[in-house]
Amino acid sequence: MLVSAISQGFLWAVLGLGIYMTYRILDFPDMTTEGSFPLGGAVCVAAINAGVSPIIATILGIGSGILAGLVTGLLYTKGKIPVILSGILVMSGLNSVILFVMKSPNLSLLNKPRIQDLFGFLHLPKYFDSVLLGLFVLFVIITLLISFFNTNLGQAYIATGDNENMAKSMGIKTDRMKILGLGLSNGVIALSGALIAQNDGYADVNKGIGVIVIGLASIIIGEVVFGNLTLLERLIAIVVGSVLYQLLILVVIKLNFDTTYLKIFSAIILSICLMIPQIKKALRLQTGFERKEE
Amino acid sequence: MKNKKLMGSVAIIFIILLVSFFSSQAQETSSPKKKIPEVGVLQYVSHPALDEIYRGIKAGLKQEGYDPKKQTVKINFQNGQADQSKLKTMSEQLVNKQADVLVGIATPAAQALANTTQKTPIVLGAITDPVSAGLVKSNEKPGGNITGVSDQSPVAAQIELAKKLLPQAKKMGILYSSSEANSEYQANKASTIAKKAGIEAKNFPVNSTNDLLTIVQEMANQVDFIYIPTDNTIANAMQTVVGAANNAATPIIPSVDTMVEQGGLATVGINQYDLGVKTGQMVAMILKGKSKPATTPIYTFTKGDIIINQEQAKKLGISIPDSIKQQATLVSADKTKK
Repeated sequence: MLVSAISQGFLWAVLGLGIYMTYRILDFPDMTTEGSFPLGGAVCVAAINAGVSPIIATILGIGSGILAGLVTGLLYTKGKIPVILSGILVMSGLNSVILFVMKSPNLSLLNKPRIQDLFGFLHLPKYFDSVLLGLFVLFVIITLLISFFNTNLGQAYIATGDNENMAKSMGIKTDRMKILGLGLSNGVIALSGALIAQNDGYADVNKGIGVIVIGLASIIIGEVVFGNLTLLERLIAIVVGSVLYQLLILVVIKLNFDTTYLKIFSAIILSICLMIPQIKKALRLQTGFERKEE
Repeated sequence: MKNKKLMGSVAIIFIILLVSFFSSQAQETSSPKKKIPEVGVLQYVSHPALDEIYRGIKAGLKQEGYDPKKQTVKINFQNGQADQSKLKTMSEQLVNKQADVLVGIATPAAQALANTTQKTPIVLGAITDPVSAGLVKSNEKPGGNITGVSDQSPVAAQIELAKKLLPQAKKMGILYSSSEANSEYQANKASTIAKKAGIEAKNFPVNSTNDLLTIVQEMANQVDFIYIPTDNTIANAMQTVVGAANNAATPIIPSVDTMVEQGGLATVGINQYDLGVKTGQMVAMILKGKSKPATTPIYTFTKGDIIINQEQAKKLGISIPDSIKQQATLVSADKTKK
């Protein structure tokens, strides 16, 4: 179970990385997530059911997420619709797209090939195929992100999030950066949806409900536990945060709490994480012996 | 990486993975024998119908001598509350507790269980079409570790009722939306059953609710009564159907009780609690070793509660035989208006 929780943490971390690109770097909350996540799963599972190989199906899933993000980006930048509303519009519209893609609210993958099966020849113990898959995907994404942020384009992207007016004055086309960011971020989110759907063995039109909380949880736990970090460390911290969140949920279930009320436990866990900086500050005031922050 | 805390955490995660990697190869099977049987139930979400099924499951188990209060069975219950991200962890927890039988209530829960174990028997509570949900190979011979109860409506009983209420009826029109795979399946099933019962059946698929009125007006003149399968599109536009059908004095036999309240004439519906009881009994049979999922067919209800809209019957000038009236639940449109 521990291994399974860690493997799920890895797969959910992909979602956290996707959300990080808009929520932290561009500094806006993108609600498209709750639509692009199940969309990635739906497209991928529908493709596998149609006989497409799991790798290509997963790539198709990523593509569908990028398209969804682009639509949100266009609504936001060209249509001048507030970003939250753009996201919500696309998210609710995607519900129909998912139903259209799957032709049913729920599509199963039982006895169908999945991307984890690529590791089948290794004869790994239970759940280790997902662990390897997660590690591989995270390695690729983090490498790509780091190299992207080190290009001129990536720097312009970061500048847009830091200070839009400054970026504009330097000749950066900030609207393009936002569209790019929403596209890429939703592509990563859809990848996570495709991986989770293959791990769970089915896609469902309602799979997106609440996923934004899981993504934010991994970012926030990572930030709170590890404090100030470089970009690479920050991305790794999101992965660790995601694993920690899954472990915390596992503990709550293991302790035999009534899972009917699981959501309040995850809300409490997250609230505590969010409050830790305040608590730390308050303690510091009382003792006065701590080192000054640089 | 300079941050020691982060490096430490990453290291810990890898140590856990390495340790379990090597230990999982060493030990595979060594589970201590338990004293009482355990049943793991995974419910998708709290919802009146699903809660009722869970209540029925407990009652069904009790009937067969498995009562949690008397320590003859232990029921582990997990509820996903529609958060599908938790279903997998919950399924693993139930399997890990070495449940003897697992029960999945609603499709995503059943799929999560099915993907977690291929060994532990799984009983499905209220899954309409287990084959298309990818859970079983066929309803007659599931083949794997899964069997259960389907909540498909008892079409034969519904058509039987229609024959009793409308003895002169010769032609039945089936109204359903062409975009719902589930209702097309039921429509074809109803058509076969009607033919066997000596009633001529004709399908009237609807593309969108915008064409609905025209189609109902047309069909109401062609047929003696209208049959509607469990169909979301039609259910949402039930008032349109009722209006047009009443103008032509054509009775409607829907397959859901709520549609009767909205102006259908009558139906035979399955009680969710009974669905649960049957599920519980199936679990008990497996616990007793009397049946195996692979060879136990999916159970579909052939009987149900008769529900009649008296007001509608009066409007259409249909007299309901006392024998039917006695066993029926009577509803009226007024109830839904309030």
